[in-house]
Amino acid sequence: MVLARDADTNMSLSILLLAFPLALGASPRPADPSASSDLLAIRVGRAETAAKGTIEHAVILVEGGKIVTIGEDLAVERGIPIVDKPGWVAMPGLVDAYSRLGLDGEGGEDNSPEVRAFREIYPGAEEYQEVVKYGVTTLGLYPAGNGIPGQAVVVRPLGKTPEEMLIQDPAYLKVILRAASSSKKLVRDGFKKADEYAEKEKKAREKWEKDQEAKKKKAPAKKEEKPEEKKGEEKKDEGKEEAKPEAKEEKPPAKEEVFVPPEPDPKIKPFLDLRAGKLHALFSISSAGEYLHLLDALGKEKLSFDLRIPLSRDSDIFYVEDKKTYDLEVDGIGDRKCRVVIEPMLTLHPGTMRQRNPAMELMRAGAKVVFVPRNDALADLKAWLPNVGEIVGAGLDRQAALRALTIEPATLLGVDSRLGSLEKGKDANIVFLSGDPFQPSTRIQAVMLEGRFVFGEVKP
Amino acid sequence: MIRRPVMPWRSLALAALAASVLGAPLSAAPRQEQGAGAEQAGGESEKKDDAKAGEKGEEHWFAVLGGEVHTGTGAVLRGATVLAKNGKVTAIGYDLDVPPEAKTLDAKGMLVYPGIVAISSQGLIGNSGSDFEDTIDPFNSRMILGLAAGITTTGAAGTAVKLKRFSVQGAVVRDKIFTTLSWSGRNPAGKRSLREKFQKTSEYLRQFREWEEKVKRDKELKEPAKKDVDTTILSILKGETTAKFVANDRDDLLGIARLAEEFGFRPVIEGCVEGWTVADELGRAGAFAVVTPRERRPKDEQLAAPAGSSIENASILHKAGVQVAVVPASEGVDLGGLVGRDIMHITIEADFAVRGGLPEDAALASITTVPARILGISHRVGSLEVGKDCDLIVTDGDLLHYRTFVQYTVVDGKLVYDKEKELFFAHIRPRPAALAPEKKLDKGESETKPAEEKAGEEKAKEVEKKEEPKKEKKEEDK
Repeated sequence: MVLARDADTNMSLSILLLAFPLALGASPRPADPSASSDLLAIRVGRAETAAKGTIEHAVILVEGGKIVTIGEDLAVERGIPIVDKPGWVAMPGLVDAYSRLGLDGEGGEDNSPEVRAFREIYPGAEEYQEVVKYGVTTLGLYPAGNGIPGQAVVVRPLGKTPEEMLIQDPAYLKVILRAASSSKKLVRDGFKKADEYAEKEKKAREKWEKDQEAKKKKAPAKKEEKPEEKKGEEKKDEGKEEAKPEAKEEKPPAKEEVFVPPEPDPKIKPFLDLRAGKLHALFSISSAGEYLHLLDALGKEKLSFDLRIPLSRDSDIFYVEDKKTYDLEVDGIGDRKCRVVIEPMLTLHPGTMRQRNPAMELMRAGAKVVFVPRNDALADLKAWLPNVGEIVGAGLDRQAALRALTIEPATLLGVDSRLGSLEKGKDANIVFLSGDPFQPSTRIQAVMLEGRFVFGEVKP
Repeated sequence: MIRRPVMPWRSLALAALAASVLGAPLSAAPRQEQGAGAEQAGGESEKKDDAKAGEKGEEHWFAVLGGEVHTGTGAVLRGATVLAKNGKVTAIGYDLDVPPEAKTLDAKGMLVYPGIVAISSQGLIGNSGSDFEDTIDPFNSRMILGLAAGITTTGAAGTAVKLKRFSVQGAVVRDKIFTTLSWSGRNPAGKRSLREKFQKTSEYLRQFREWEEKVKRDKELKEPAKKDVDTTILSILKGETTAKFVANDRDDLLGIARLAEEFGFRPVIEGCVEGWTVADELGRAGAFAVVTPRERRPKDEQLAAPAGSSIENASILHKAGVQVAVVPASEGVDLGGLVGRDIMHITIEADFAVRGGLPEDAALASITTVPARILGISHRVGSLEVGKDCDLIVTDGDLLHYRTFVQYTVVDGKLVYDKEKELFFAHIRPRPAALAPEKKLDKGESETKPAEEKAGEEKAKEVEKKEEPKKEKKEEDK
């Protein structure tokens, strides 16, 4: 039987369970049992899990595109094919959360929150085959355009149709906020119209409820059932309005008496979703001033949001990292615990030659950093890991840098429960490197996407 | 600045206090008591502010201690304290009760002036030329340079905006200030039509006022027809907006002065290079002049009358009663081109007016109170008075001296520029230690510390005492 030196009993138990059918067959040969499963064990010198630190002499067991287990020096049942690479380092597949790779559409009108990037996907694009070679296994694609361009989508760079590529749609609503009246107005108007809709819905509901009461008076036959139903309704009224129609479906007896809220304008729906927490906002700002304008435009709207800040050589974003340093009147980026999508680069204090490390400073202030390549081009995707290495060299915490490439972007995209780290149960998106991920001499040896090697010649 | 003979401390203080009381009748007296008593002394407007701050439950106190305070109203208070609450000056004087939670700025050995008001500038508040509420960039490098020059408020595109760093709210003080009119000898038809407009509008206004009076008795009376009435001219005559001209020629200036006198409005004249030749007329018309003392212009030799530029321009205009504001040749922060003639050198520009004979207090007014008055915001900025905004600068010398650097700039009771902390000028003549005096204690004296710290120290001492016996025991064991 399999013996695991791992302290985690659950883990060893799962291995036991997995190995059970093999043992029943009592066959020393792997041929029969492995025909039904595609179990594969990979033994590497070290695994950077991104979520639970580093595992030396790690063994990763993969089946059905998922990581079955991962641990230090796990013994592997005879018969399970093993890829034995003691010189390699494994890390989760890179997640580029903010990209337009393979898309060539142009943005339409400025206010198009209803647009989905999913519609733009062209699975035949060569970039997708190329990008896996650089270790990128997940892409967050955003729609083109200014103002509010629309909603992003999460895809795997693999598949013949958009549906095959799809992981999740939508991922986030992209909103570009500039220090301009027109731009701030777009955001303010969006929420204003959402208010108007909420008012409209409330009136429609009141009218419907009145009609219902009138009906009940007309038909007093089912007296006993009615009060119960009413109680149920009242309870739901206290909760969120959007949840109501779904909840009603569960109750078959009240068939014809379902309140159907008026259909919101497609341009308003994303704002309703933002408020209800169904959709996540990613605001693109380019300077510290625009951060304040963003908060000004949001006003009293309580919204948790993330930020995209394209770094320039003399970025001034450090002014709004936290409230304390510059005595701001509002909470800083770190105080709000925002995720910040930035390039791995060092900047200069404006007007001087004094170097700053925005990623490190933002993280110290409490923000979470999501790295994206310096440019949205293949050459920059190739240089992505080494570029992050430079920032690590300039002082950024290694583990934080790893997270900024994997689990943090996955969380931004809302897919952190299924990918972004080397953990049991997650997608087997793994990059195998010849050494430390942040050493310039390190090369990518192989890339696994959902259990399949999509780059590198690897045989058990 | 010409120093006054040193007066005994108290009498000077009283004199200066009296001056500030006259300047602003509200609660000029130093706070006698903390809390409710002091608040009662405040005017109604202050109470409203309190209510606003009260909603947030915050009171922001700020105090500048021990500086030589030049209030901009003529008074100079040596070693006085400026106290501000929620961005407004609440008291200027001696022996003020500064709340312990107040943020303080030690200005001993330094001079305190009201923040400079640049009548116009470019780029200090961002790249945009309009909609400043939505476009201001409060982290802009040029804003830092503007604050380094001592500028706390600027006019831009007919709007008065504060250099409110770290905030995008409440920066615009007033907008739609000016209506720009043209009056030029090169366009006689334009002059004629403008005069006609003024004539018709003033005629209408006269009829309207008459009707306003009569309609009270006779309600049937018809309102005079608004035919041929220019609405912008009407708002100028009503005093809702200010007429601004760009004019330099003697003849044009004369024409504007006569127009203003005839129709009863106070024009703002930018340029005004030959103003010194017609200063009396401009003074009688109540004109404001926005001049650049270093502007040079040759005389047209065909003219018999005096013309061309004069270094005495500002001085002569001032003597004739014209309110003179000074602005440099370049309105931007210009690090190339007209070096030393950009908005950062606004004080140097005022120096050239002093060179031409302008009194120093008028030169200070030309970059503080006069531009504030022209912009119609003198109730809030331009001088240090109780009730006005706490916009001030702390310098290491006379503001108009070329050697002087602004050490600190405060806007709305908040420190927004510190020469030592920003990287632009920190290395040039670093702040002398003498300006940040160390505290000297005589033998046997100890520094008085706030109650909390004392309590903490005493606890620490107690702990030490407890530990001491143990040590002794250990030693004994050995």
